[in-house]
Amino acid sequence: MTDPVVAETLGHDDEEVRGSSLPRYLALKAGGALVSLALVVVLGFFTFRVLPGDPAITMTRGRQVTPGEVERLRQAMGLDQPLLVQLGHFVRDLFTGDLGTSYVYRRPVTELIGEYLGPTLLLTGSAAIISIILGLWLGQKAAWRRNSWFDKTHTGLALVFWSVPTFWLGLLLLLMFGGWLQWLPTGGMTTPGAHETGLAYVLDVAEHLVLPVTSMVAVVYAQYLMVMRASVLEEMSADYLTTARAKGLREDLVRTRHAVPNALLPTVTLIFLTIGGLIAGAVTVETVFSWPGLGYLTYKGLSAPDLPLLQGTFVVFSAAVIVMNFVADLVYRVLDPRLKAS
Amino acid sequence: MLAVLLALAGGAVATTSAQAQESDKTLKVSLVGDIDTFNPFLAILLSSTGLNRYQYEALVGYGKNSEPVPGIAEKWETSNQGKTWTFTIGEDRKWSDGEQITADDVVYTYTSILETPALQEANGGLVTNIDKVEASDPQTVVFTLKSAQASNPGQEIPIVPEHIWSEQDATKFKADSDVVGSGPYTLTSFKTGQTVEMKANPHFWRGKSKIDGLTFVSYKNSDAAVQGLKSGDIDLVDGLTPAQYESLEKSDNIKLNAGIGRRYQALAINPGAIDKDGKPMGDGNPALKDEKLRQAIFMAIDKETIVKRVLNGLGTVGQTEVPATYQDYFGFADGHEAVPFDLDAANQLLDDAGYEKGADGIREDKQGEPLVLRLMGRNTESPHAQMADFVESWLKEIGIGTETQLVTPDKVNEDSTLGKYDLYFTGWSLGPDPDAQLAMNTCDSRPNADGSGNTSENNWCSSEFDQLFKAQHAELDKAKRADLVKQAFTTIYEAYVSNPIYYIKPLEAYRSDRVDGFVTQPEKGGVILNQNGYWGLYSAELTSADAADDGGTPGWLIPAAVVVVLAGIAGFVAVRRRGGAAEDRE
Repeated sequence: MTDPVVAETLGHDDEEVRGSSLPRYLALKAGGALVSLALVVVLGFFTFRVLPGDPAITMTRGRQVTPGEVERLRQAMGLDQPLLVQLGHFVRDLFTGDLGTSYVYRRPVTELIGEYLGPTLLLTGSAAIISIILGLWLGQKAAWRRNSWFDKTHTGLALVFWSVPTFWLGLLLLLMFGGWLQWLPTGGMTTPGAHETGLAYVLDVAEHLVLPVTSMVAVVYAQYLMVMRASVLEEMSADYLTTARAKGLREDLVRTRHAVPNALLPTVTLIFLTIGGLIAGAVTVETVFSWPGLGYLTYKGLSAPDLPLLQGTFVVFSAAVIVMNFVADLVYRVLDPRLKAS
Repeated sequence: MLAVLLALAGGAVATTSAQAQESDKTLKVSLVGDIDTFNPFLAILLSSTGLNRYQYEALVGYGKNSEPVPGIAEKWETSNQGKTWTFTIGEDRKWSDGEQITADDVVYTYTSILETPALQEANGGLVTNIDKVEASDPQTVVFTLKSAQASNPGQEIPIVPEHIWSEQDATKFKADSDVVGSGPYTLTSFKTGQTVEMKANPHFWRGKSKIDGLTFVSYKNSDAAVQGLKSGDIDLVDGLTPAQYESLEKSDNIKLNAGIGRRYQALAINPGAIDKDGKPMGDGNPALKDEKLRQAIFMAIDKETIVKRVLNGLGTVGQTEVPATYQDYFGFADGHEAVPFDLDAANQLLDDAGYEKGADGIREDKQGEPLVLRLMGRNTESPHAQMADFVESWLKEIGIGTETQLVTPDKVNEDSTLGKYDLYFTGWSLGPDPDAQLAMNTCDSRPNADGSGNTSENNWCSSEFDQLFKAQHAELDKAKRADLVKQAFTTIYEAYVSNPIYYIKPLEAYRSDRVDGFVTQPEKGGVILNQNGYWGLYSAELTSADAADDGGTPGWLIPAAVVVVLAGIAGFVAVRRRGGAAEDRE
């Protein structure tokens, strides 16, 4: 039975699909995702053409080039064709998984993304996991002891870090722990020249991860803390918690077994969106800590402009977000029995 | 759990200190810049071409003062009035895999560039005058040129081993692992965006390097690189800003080097840009077509002040576009000199030329419009912003208004190519042979109307200059050519289209407790990295064999252990307390 008040506060677009069958729900959501993806492809293609600079000219500038050289380069890049033809080629290649060849690196974009994918996900993934766990744990504790010193301190601290620019915090940490105290490395993913394997390699990478992940977590965990806190606060006034206490449960268990699972629902969407954004890297952190990531790669692509690289990464990053959004819709439906009721 | 953590950390320490011994005899250098590819036919970014200089030699190399010296070729001679060049390859020249370097390798390299358009990306412009390249015997190569030229055609082009490359598709060959090369170091591995590892070439004809290898560590920002130098993560850093340079002055074990550079920074003036077909390009202020106005602007630039205040003295005042690195071509032609900084004389010149000052102190041009010029610079280079402030104030004193726009480098490039500027800050790095730079000022160098085609340095054309260019291009006598070159650069200067303000000094720093003995280029007061050649890193010696910075207990171990212990205690107490509270409530 659906409580009408609760139903009201649920997603409004679920009005129609609430209580509908699974295939219909899936079809509608999938259709939406596909439309978004198509729009992203077209938009991405045209957006980057607006950037100043003719790639053929930028790449041959400052060197002696024969008169036909620039024209030949332009033809090799396919830039001499009308825009719509170029768009057609791009879409056609997308279906075969070919994202084009980078102008600057002369390698397939898929290969480049593949190479940088591991380090990127390691960085953003670790930061995401830690900030989610930290944020959620602190958030629900803070809500439970609302207005206590715990609540005030942690909410305040989180918000202070949230307002700080990531690169600034990163640089500070680098200066302090890398340059001055010399406890941690000043950049990169591994110690240069040391060809480690196995456990030593894992620990070496872990050592290099400490500072970048700390910078990222510090700046972001407030997001999860605040959402979780608000969510738990809302749950705290519910009747079923009084029942739980009346049954004789310890406060801790009331919190962890009843309030928190229900309060987790709004954070599900947030978490999935975060997962979708992991692949895009974190360009400021990668720059400060010289981490080989996709954020920095994409940013560098802006200078030529390296159109295949930019288009390719744009499509991949957007697709990740769209897919995760879709998965979130599915998971939400599974988690929340109220959505299935007919 | 605590015991497990400590054991893990101990294990890591033990294994890392073992590895540290291995990396002892390699030099770690910072690399702030992207690598596009190591294929010498395709590489165009400065970092990659720079690193390729360590592993591939050309027929003719650059010596410690950028003079032509034997590379793969031990001697060469011209005949047929400079149309035929014959190179003799030294018998002691070997590839890093032990194979003999022969004429076949040279023929393969040059013919690949000449015949395959896709391989012309890096050096196509350097072979336009070559008709054919043939081997007359295994150690001799004959170049037949289309017309006589003074520049040595054996310079610049890296020779690749035919026995390796002919088995690959040269247009796709990455050539980034276990490379076979002829230089003092060859690439062993390349981790994209992370490190480049090179090892000493045992068969290098000048003798194996004293260092076992080089590791170039990618740093994406120079502040981190400086911290890396301080902490010992790297041994040598370049590309420092004056502020970073000065912050390292007090460090005991760090030595600084401010070398003579190859780059000039100038204020360019739009003389009325014209495209290849002679049609006007862009939207430069028409008043600038008057040479006297441009000359007055030259007179209003106080170069000494800029070097002192903007560069903190870490630069030298500019003369013509040629930096002092190239002594043969440096300076004005006999009897000519730079325009002096003289605001009064500039004002006088403009008064005499008929530019009257309006009520607000700004002069009016011949059409009665106030003389306000746009000044363009890069928003990525702080000297541009600082110089703009100075230039604005000086121009104001001679009655010219300025509107400064600092934009992205790409926009600067685009607008300057299309002639859409009045004034802008420009700069180029010169190679040892001035022909390439001069070629960008000929009438033929002007681009098409849409900006494609050739690169014109100043959007300017002069038949007098073209004659000087042709003369130096084919003049084989060194002294005569040097004279012609100076005259050519002086002509550019006296057209008042580009005013070289300074030659910046590249700033480098290194750990003197780890390495020393660098040969700079030029030998006196030059640079260690980014040379025309490999002398800097080839000559270096590691001073200490001890791995003070690697291995041993990492500093973070103690604090980390303390944190873990404290967390453990806190957790334990919390659990006890919670259990107690429940009991109480029950």
